[in-house]
Amino acid sequence: MPYQEVLLSAREVAKDFPLRGGLGGRRGMIHAVRGVSLEVRRGETLGIVGESGCGKSTLGRCLVRLMDLTSGSVHFDGVDITRLSRRQLRPYRARMQLIFQDPYASLNPRRRVGGIVAEPILIQGTASGAAIRRRVRELFEVVGLDSSYVDRYPHEFSGGQRQRIGIARALALNPELIVADEPVSALDVSIQAQVLNLMADLQERFGLTYVFIAHDLGVVQHVSDRVGVMYLGDLVELAGAASLYQAPLHPYTEALLSVVPEVDDDPTATPRQRIVLRGDVPNPMDMPTGCAFHPRCPVAQDRCREERPLLAEASPGRLVACHFPQNLAAARALGADRGGVPPAPAPPA
Amino acid sequence: MPWSTSSTPGSIPGCVGLPEGAAAPSSERLLEVDDLRVTFQTRAGAVRAVDGLSLTVGPREVLGIVGESGSGKSVAMYSVLGLVRDPNAVVEGRVRFQGRELLGIGDRALRAVRGRQIAMIFQDPMTALTPVYTVGWHIAEQIRAHERISRRAARGRAIELLGEVGIPDPQRRVDSYPHEFSGGMRQRAVIAMALSCSPVLLIADEPTTALDVTTQAQILDLMRNLLHTHGSSIVLITHNMGVISEIADRVVVMYAGRAVEEGRKEAVIRAPQHPYTWGLLGAVPRLGSKRRRLATIPGSPISPLNVPPGCAFAPRCRERFARCSERPELRGAGGHRDACWLPPEDRERRRLLALERALAADRAGGQA
Repeated sequence: MPYQEVLLSAREVAKDFPLRGGLGGRRGMIHAVRGVSLEVRRGETLGIVGESGCGKSTLGRCLVRLMDLTSGSVHFDGVDITRLSRRQLRPYRARMQLIFQDPYASLNPRRRVGGIVAEPILIQGTASGAAIRRRVRELFEVVGLDSSYVDRYPHEFSGGQRQRIGIARALALNPELIVADEPVSALDVSIQAQVLNLMADLQERFGLTYVFIAHDLGVVQHVSDRVGVMYLGDLVELAGAASLYQAPLHPYTEALLSVVPEVDDDPTATPRQRIVLRGDVPNPMDMPTGCAFHPRCPVAQDRCREERPLLAEASPGRLVACHFPQNLAAARALGADRGGVPPAPAPPA
Repeated sequence: MPWSTSSTPGSIPGCVGLPEGAAAPSSERLLEVDDLRVTFQTRAGAVRAVDGLSLTVGPREVLGIVGESGSGKSVAMYSVLGLVRDPNAVVEGRVRFQGRELLGIGDRALRAVRGRQIAMIFQDPMTALTPVYTVGWHIAEQIRAHERISRRAARGRAIELLGEVGIPDPQRRVDSYPHEFSGGMRQRAVIAMALSCSPVLLIADEPTTALDVTTQAQILDLMRNLLHTHGSSIVLITHNMGVISEIADRVVVMYAGRAVEEGRKEAVIRAPQHPYTWGLLGAVPRLGSKRRRLATIPGSPISPLNVPPGCAFAPRCRERFARCSERPELRGAGGHRDACWLPPEDRERRRLLALERALAADRAGGQA
């Protein structure tokens, strides 16, 4: 992969949610995102994967400032968008868009789908009248929907078609970056494949950059160039998709990979060693000491209970937050990974 | 575990471990569904949700039923348990459980089977539990509905069951409400409920679809273990071929209310015969695959309102030819059968060709 320009960079992004107790009194804080730094390069797909409640959606929303950050900063195309006012932010909004998980909840049931897709254009005021209508029809065709459907209502469409409408809306302003938050997890596997292919086509055609958020590592690994793994608000590993699969460094990544339900159609393949994690993700109100993963970690040691590991380079170009990374020999044998270059990327060698 | 006598004395053989001499072949087959048809009368006309489905489940067997939304896989299993309550629904055919007909036996008789001998796990554990009662209450209620047992003993059993399905600290969690549980724990509680009467058959409708991948693995593991310890059979309904591959012994692939392919899991996954099965398998992303595109099935699942007279899959099939206007029946040898007119000896070559062509056609943007 050649050196690519950084489109979006997040530095120490943190987001807390106050938890209110009875009678409006504050009971505590949920640290949904605990200081995540990453870069998204122009034209790539960065996958973010993790279980429910790991903060991946919150991070996605912080990246496009759909939410204000508690601390840290996000730079888009070199500009710090963290503290811009709504008005100042508006031109940047057009350049970054979102696709949401639930194709049922993300479309207003009382509006015609053509109007839903036209709304971003109306807000930005970049076109009017017949030009908007032309653009909406064009967008429908781009996402593989019949352009005669523009006057229908969301309930007249299937889940897969609705997700196409959501994608058309995201494309309406020719964005550079699209954050897709679980775009296919509500869909049947067969429809999921269609939507993933469509997203790949659109990326190629319009030079889009994606941040693809999902809980299914199978899907994320398939669509992404690089993958970040999140656990309880932290980024625990960041690597190129291929090397992450071949030599996962964090025990959590290893466990996630081992339980992706796979079609076993090769009788000669050696059966996978499945690592089934015990228990659930701990309550973020009651964070474990040291490494947040240690209560479920199969290789945890005393140090893990005391000291919180930081994201650091474990083998050339591979970032992991773990005191005892796995598969290090295999990762080193793979050579330098251009995928997980640390936050200050070196120019091409 | 003590078995109380059935509610309709005499006529009902139905206890586990008591093979009934009268229904001889049933020892091989726990559940036999034969030519099941479920039709709903709607304003837009008759909708045949299940159209001549036949299948069997053997003892200690996991049967996977796979298909897209609307393929009739859930409705078929609901009607087996008499859970299709719509007054506009007509259920026809034969459903034999341990050699005994279940269709039309009446609610009272069915209640002795449902929940006790055949239990069900639903997709969404939140809607399967009542938010105003504790988890323990749900389990105890089910036990007390089927057995003469004191509240205290039922509660004790509930605690045991919660421990068995891997809920930590069951003594305390038995008094928790469903909203205090995570999604995975709720599904465990629902499984504990389903297991409370040691059913011989467990019907699981997309039990892991609403869960995280890690939790899904836990639940699949749990179901596998229960299979061993309780010796139950499972019917697992899913749309994910990956899940089928993990746990099923045999597979039935459904499309538009009909079985289009069935056989041993290894046979169906390694040598799929029906073009629809090819599509379902191609749609699952492979870990470590270099390929950036997935082979898709064009279009969306068919509306049961207008199923074509011939092969229901023909409109979406890239292998369609003249013969497909005629309805194919399930045919094949060695327990691996499929409903397709393509010459069997040519399937493998066509499948590989189709895979390449699907990828190419898809790239050209030929999607509905």
